[in-house]
Amino acid sequence: MAKSTIYAGLEIGTHKICVVVGEAKRDGAIKILGVGQAPSRGVRKGEIVDFEKVQTCVNDALVRAEDRSDVMIRNVFLGVTGAHIESLNNRGRHRLPDDQTEIAEDDVEEAKEIARSVSIPQSNVFLHSVTRQYIVDGQEAVRQPIGREGRVLEADYHIIHGVRGRVQNAIRCVREIPLEVEDVVFNPVAAAQVVLTREAKMQGALMIDFGAGTCDYVLYEDGMITASGCVPLGGDHITNDVAMALQIPNGRAERLKVEEGSVLYEDVAEGEMLSIEDDTGLVLGEIERAFLFEVMNLRTKEILTQVRVRVEDHLGRLGAGIYLTGGVSMMKGVDAVAREVFGIKVTRAGSAPVSGITATFENPQYSAPIGLIRYAQILDSEKPFLSPLKRLGRRMQELLSSITL
Amino acid sequence: MVEYDRSHSPEGASTAAPRICIVGVGGAGSNVVDRITLDRIVDATLVCAHTDVRVLGHSMAPVKIQLGAELMKGIGAGGDPDLGREAALFSREQIRQAIENHDIIFISAGLGGGTGSGAAPVIAEIAKNTNALVLVVATMPFSFEGRRRLGQAEEALELLQKRADALVLFENNRMGELILPKDGIQKAFNQADQLIAQSLRAISTITTTPGLVKLGLDDLTSALANANGRCLFGFGEARGQNRGSEALKKALKSPLIDSGRLLHQTKNLLVHVAGGESLTLVEVEGVMKQLGRHVPDQTHILFGLGVDAKLGDAVAVTLISSLGLNQLNAHAAAAPPSEMLQPRAELPVSVAPAPAPLIPAPAPAPAPKREPAPKKAPAHSQYAPPPQLESAPDLLFKAEEFISVPAVGEAFPLSSLHAEAAAPALPKELPVVPQSFMIEEPPALEIPAAPVITPAPVIAPAPETARIPVRTPIAKELADAARSPKESTLAAVVARSVTLQTEAAPAPQDDLISFDEPEEAATTISAATAVLTRTKPTAESQQTFSLGEEDRGRFKDTEPSIVQGEDLDVPTWMRLKKKLRR
Repeated sequence: MAKSTIYAGLEIGTHKICVVVGEAKRDGAIKILGVGQAPSRGVRKGEIVDFEKVQTCVNDALVRAEDRSDVMIRNVFLGVTGAHIESLNNRGRHRLPDDQTEIAEDDVEEAKEIARSVSIPQSNVFLHSVTRQYIVDGQEAVRQPIGREGRVLEADYHIIHGVRGRVQNAIRCVREIPLEVEDVVFNPVAAAQVVLTREAKMQGALMIDFGAGTCDYVLYEDGMITASGCVPLGGDHITNDVAMALQIPNGRAERLKVEEGSVLYEDVAEGEMLSIEDDTGLVLGEIERAFLFEVMNLRTKEILTQVRVRVEDHLGRLGAGIYLTGGVSMMKGVDAVAREVFGIKVTRAGSAPVSGITATFENPQYSAPIGLIRYAQILDSEKPFLSPLKRLGRRMQELLSSITL
Repeated sequence: MVEYDRSHSPEGASTAAPRICIVGVGGAGSNVVDRITLDRIVDATLVCAHTDVRVLGHSMAPVKIQLGAELMKGIGAGGDPDLGREAALFSREQIRQAIENHDIIFISAGLGGGTGSGAAPVIAEIAKNTNALVLVVATMPFSFEGRRRLGQAEEALELLQKRADALVLFENNRMGELILPKDGIQKAFNQADQLIAQSLRAISTITTTPGLVKLGLDDLTSALANANGRCLFGFGEARGQNRGSEALKKALKSPLIDSGRLLHQTKNLLVHVAGGESLTLVEVEGVMKQLGRHVPDQTHILFGLGVDAKLGDAVAVTLISSLGLNQLNAHAAAAPPSEMLQPRAELPVSVAPAPAPLIPAPAPAPAPKREPAPKKAPAHSQYAPPPQLESAPDLLFKAEEFISVPAVGEAFPLSSLHAEAAAPALPKELPVVPQSFMIEEPPALEIPAAPVITPAPVIAPAPETARIPVRTPIAKELADAARSPKESTLAAVVARSVTLQTEAAPAPQDDLISFDEPEEAATTISAATAVLTRTKPTAESQQTFSLGEEDRGRFKDTEPSIVQGEDLDVPTWMRLKKKLRR
């Protein structure tokens, strides 16, 4: 058995498509072997609208990643997002049979089952169901209930679900490349694995992945994932606002935003002008810098306010504050605006240090794809160890069941 | 749950299924009865009582009573409750015969008119005398029907309250508001009827069918107990996977509950969950938990649970509560649905200038703005003579026949008001304007289009030059103010974006209102403000008609992200600008 496993993470973002190949060592360290990136076409608000364009772009990114890492990629962990993804917390309560006092594995399974049998709309599918904690006879924050004495076992779950069709479309799009999708991961959940430290999670932290198409967030409290979701607004909206306010093409607005943009307009000297060129380089006119910044500020504030509305109930308990990541988090002044909106400490963060060619990829843009590798690793380490024989047996079982169906 | 003592309740008197009778009184009532007849949702004797033979002729109810045949000669009560009452008294024997020998009698009426307000109390009295349980389901008139009808409705309500065992009251305004504007009026009314029919059915099943956790009439009355309360009702039925939550979702979708938002203020809430034999406790728990999110902790939840084999594998959730009229209106004002029903949107405008505003929701129009109207009036004198102007609101309340007439006439004062508003009303003042004013605009704009523009060249020199100097300093101040404090950031965006527009596209839309032309050679700022004035009417008229398609830029093909009625894909500054104009 190999000492390390190689994973590939694929994130189909609104602005870029990114494939990260990483090696997860047994000791938990991650080494990034290669990253392939391509500008994205045919994605709107984090969701695929044009299959063919996306497939071409994914292919580009894939080839680059394979080139750089010298790994042939067959399976990927796919990061998804979109306005349709929602989350909720549910608790399953299981009372032990009267003649039993010790919690056994079956009881845990039973409690999990009850917790998972939450009602989500029929068209939706579970993306994640994460155990937050177990509660034994009212005692909270039990991590490992098996073997404990108790009468009532409760399993506390955080469930993330999305519309089946939309999730499946993303999978289908990738399968046609052809790539096998090992697992589908909600982007911010992956990103949080590398952006938030264990300590931050314990203290309580809100991670906001401010991307081009969407603004995804995950909130941790006491080390447990408490809320997550997606606001379908992002950097593209800022660009669009600028484009419409200045009446310039979107591409020009995007460049203006990246090169000159800021969301702090109060300190700008009055009358400071900025010349605008059209696509051919002809000067269209001048605008006040403060005006540009204000348009951007209004939108940024609104997007962050939308996030705030969704996590309002938990804001008081965030000791570690807010972690901003994603492409837009590089925008000038965005942390100040976030601070203004949320009123707590704001940190801009990329992925935590990992080995390999990371120097380039501590960039917040790559939090989610690197997080995918980390997520894959965590997922694997949580899997119960199976002997090769059992593994074979299980595979046969799967095969047989698929035939009978 | 406390055991419900059946022997003392009237509905428990019969051991077999209780006999139910539903009486529809007047036009609205008979519509509801028709709906019930068509849907066959309640096993009951259906009676339709009306003074008007034509309505009776169309009615589908099996039993029809013509009220006061000798007195009224088959003609309606004409909005006079006294006539309605007389008519009902004339036919009381007939009524008694029809509704006798029933355990529960529902009376459904639309209050405010003649037959509904007049006859319903009489019928309730007769019903009470037959020793039946009397439940009244009534609707209050739309606010545009005027104060007099509202008064009549309130009088009738008082009478009904004394006679009925329980009164379920619906607010027509509320129902109208929440139906999409593009839905036909037919559909709107159908939905209202359906809702009332559903509530009838739910109440009858809740109070009559034996349940595991029984709800009685006492629970119903306590859920509805609220001073001047209006009923909030939601009903949902679903089958299949997640049927519990689906049913609850449907129930919450009811316009009267406004997807659970209105439940935040209720004191009592009656919840009834019914299902077939397969109903599980987990499902019920799930429903209640989900509901808990919409209801504050201190709300008294009256919970009922019934197993009804008829439901098969479906689960039905019923929510009944009530909310004071003031709270309801406050809520409606807080979140004004932009998709208001046109007739409702149109008429409150004519009501607004009345000495005491009928609807508490919109703030009274600021006085300074109304003053210019008479001054300007001579310009339009042939269209709207001043005396008629002043009396118009009064006429509206004096006689219903005039409703349509002043409504048309009202367009004129408004148009002059609007023409003025474009000039002296600056963004800072505009937020005070009742928002119904905005909605009224399209008709107002169309009608006066000719009068406003044609006389313009004649009047233009004098008032226009006088007006602009006033405007420019304020515009300057506006731009200056935008620098420092936060509230005026919006103003700054407007001002700046306008400047930008002038530069990008010089003199864009002067074809619309021509009298601004003399200002063409002014300074940049005044030019900017001129554009502001010019574009304003255009943009506003667009606001009501456009679907926002143009505004969304690159997101026009994507699914809109709508939060609280705002499309967040539209640039923030654009939306703020629109708000500012209001």
